[in-house]
Amino acid sequence: MSKTMLKRSDVQTLPISFTLNGKLQELDVEPHELLLDVVRDRLGLTGVKRSCDVQVCGACTLLVDGRPVSACTTLAFEVRGRSVLTIEGLADDGKLHPLQEAFIEHGGFQCGFCTPGMILASKALLDENPNPSEEELKHFMHGNICRCTGYKKIIESIMAAAKKMAS
Amino acid sequence: MQFEKKIEIEAPKQKVWNFIWDVDRFIACVPGCKEAKTIEEGKRYSAIMVEKVGPFKVEFPTTIEVLERDELSRIKAQASGADNKIGSRMKLDLEVKLSGEGDRSTLEFVAGVDILGKLAALGHGIIKRKADQVLDEFAHSVKRQLEGDS
Amino acid sequence: MLRRFRLEEPQSVGEVSELLGRFGDSAKLYAGGTELLLAMKEGLVHYERLVNVKGVQGLNEVKQDNGTIRIGALCTHHQLENAPALKQNLPAFVKLEENVANVRVRQVGTIGGNICFAEPHADPGTLLIALGASLIAAKSDSTREITAESFFVDAYETALQPDEVLTEIVIPVPVKPSGVCYMKFGYLERPSVGVAIALNMNSEKNKIDDVRIAVGCAGPAPKRVPEAETLLRDKPIDEVTRNLAQAGEVAARAAQAISDLHGAQDYKEHIVQVLLKRSFQNALSQC
Repeated sequence: MSKTMLKRSDVQTLPISFTLNGKLQELDVEPHELLLDVVRDRLGLTGVKRSCDVQVCGACTLLVDGRPVSACTTLAFEVRGRSVLTIEGLADDGKLHPLQEAFIEHGGFQCGFCTPGMILASKALLDENPNPSEEELKHFMHGNICRCTGYKKIIESIMAAAKKMAS
Repeated sequence: MQFEKKIEIEAPKQKVWNFIWDVDRFIACVPGCKEAKTIEEGKRYSAIMVEKVGPFKVEFPTTIEVLERDELSRIKAQASGADNKIGSRMKLDLEVKLSGEGDRSTLEFVAGVDILGKLAALGHGIIKRKADQVLDEFAHSVKRQLEGDS
Repeated sequence: MLRRFRLEEPQSVGEVSELLGRFGDSAKLYAGGTELLLAMKEGLVHYERLVNVKGVQGLNEVKQDNGTIRIGALCTHHQLENAPALKQNLPAFVKLEENVANVRVRQVGTIGGNICFAEPHADPGTLLIALGASLIAAKSDSTREITAESFFVDAYETALQPDEVLTEIVIPVPVKPSGVCYMKFGYLERPSVGVAIALNMNSEKNKIDDVRIAVGCAGPAPKRVPEAETLLRDKPIDEVTRNLAQAGEVAARAAQAISDLHGAQDYKEHIVQVLLKRSFQNALSQC
């Protein structure tokens, strides 16, 4: 006898459609599902990380309509009708984004755990402010924490990418 | 967390002492305490402590053990409880000292309270303030009860 | 993982109020969720229903109406940091909003949610009290105005009734010469001490005509400190400067600071005094 998943008829599901890394996604989600779990477990994109789980560290940063959110504290249904960008969607058909190249060239990561969140947050920063001062950069990136690098190389990477993207 | 409270009661020592051991009346003075039961007279009791801070509510089924008893002067007790719904534990060490002459008594409470688990995340400060409020209300309730009926 | 709940998506304030009234403690208003979802994830609270208020139109605008600015409760901190009316008239408020939590929280967190959750270490309440702001609370068939200084009752507790919805924050634009300043201090994720001051001078700029002082973060709820204001109000500037230290001490005691992980009571009280002095000087320099 096959095992069937029985769903109670009174369990509420919300059909949502959104673009994920440029492609249309259609899913049924329950109201309590978190965006982080949907992206990692149901959609298989594990670049986004669960770290502090209280939206202070930034390792779960995703871009929704180009703006950074904490996927660990976002209900999945909230992205309906919106566009979501994960780190997997940043490179263009295999060609790395200038931010990714800069992080590699300038040593902006060590263990890499905070890096997807760092890069996505940096992208949101540079989209909003293509030529930030170091003060402005630090203020924007204040909520992304790194235990390895001491931040100096991260700042250098972002500034280098900004320069490259402006030209 | 340590708390101390001292109250002057217009009632003789014996009356106060009797009141303490009248479990139902005594427990009724503890804000948020309900369903007090005697498990072993003079030794073990149980009750449910319900407290609320804003939207946060805890319900601790609590066991109270009397450790030491000096007739008409001192009680040492320990209480512990756990709210499994929110994963928190409470531990209370309580010393009650009674003194007085004639128609007036002094009741002194010294309490050590520990809150462990998730509730502690709410903030040590908030819990301390709440516990202090509870102890204060309790002390005044006892005083009112004893002075009220004569 | 969160425990399962039902999502309600009302379209009007009346509907929201009706749902909250009907389901009582088992339902909760949900906007940005930046505080609520954290508490739910920790298992500290659970609701059978979340009432998504973001479906209600018209609650996320910033309007200027001559001498008043009206902020919709659903405005996000990010919206407020960038609102032209605020940048022009209340730069101190913009600065506060720019520094709430982090960029991700500012993106989805709402000013209404922040105020109504009444977390002790929040920033906006303190400044709103100093600005003499009012909050508009609505039910199905009525609204009422609550002053900011009476809105924050205790930790996580406001003056809102269970079926009331905060719709707007009304802030009178300070009349020049005036200065407004909010300063906070902390090294943990949330600030440990916050002090706000709003003052008006006479046209000759040698007298403090009016002043409002509020302290927050150190105690269970932000509070106005009228006893400190009295020392500075309606006095020439030299006398005010002489009274400043005492005003600081009064404000420190009024802060209801307690010793906890954020610092010892006397430490926090000391910081209140320092921030009062600095924020006063800052506000004065704006005049």
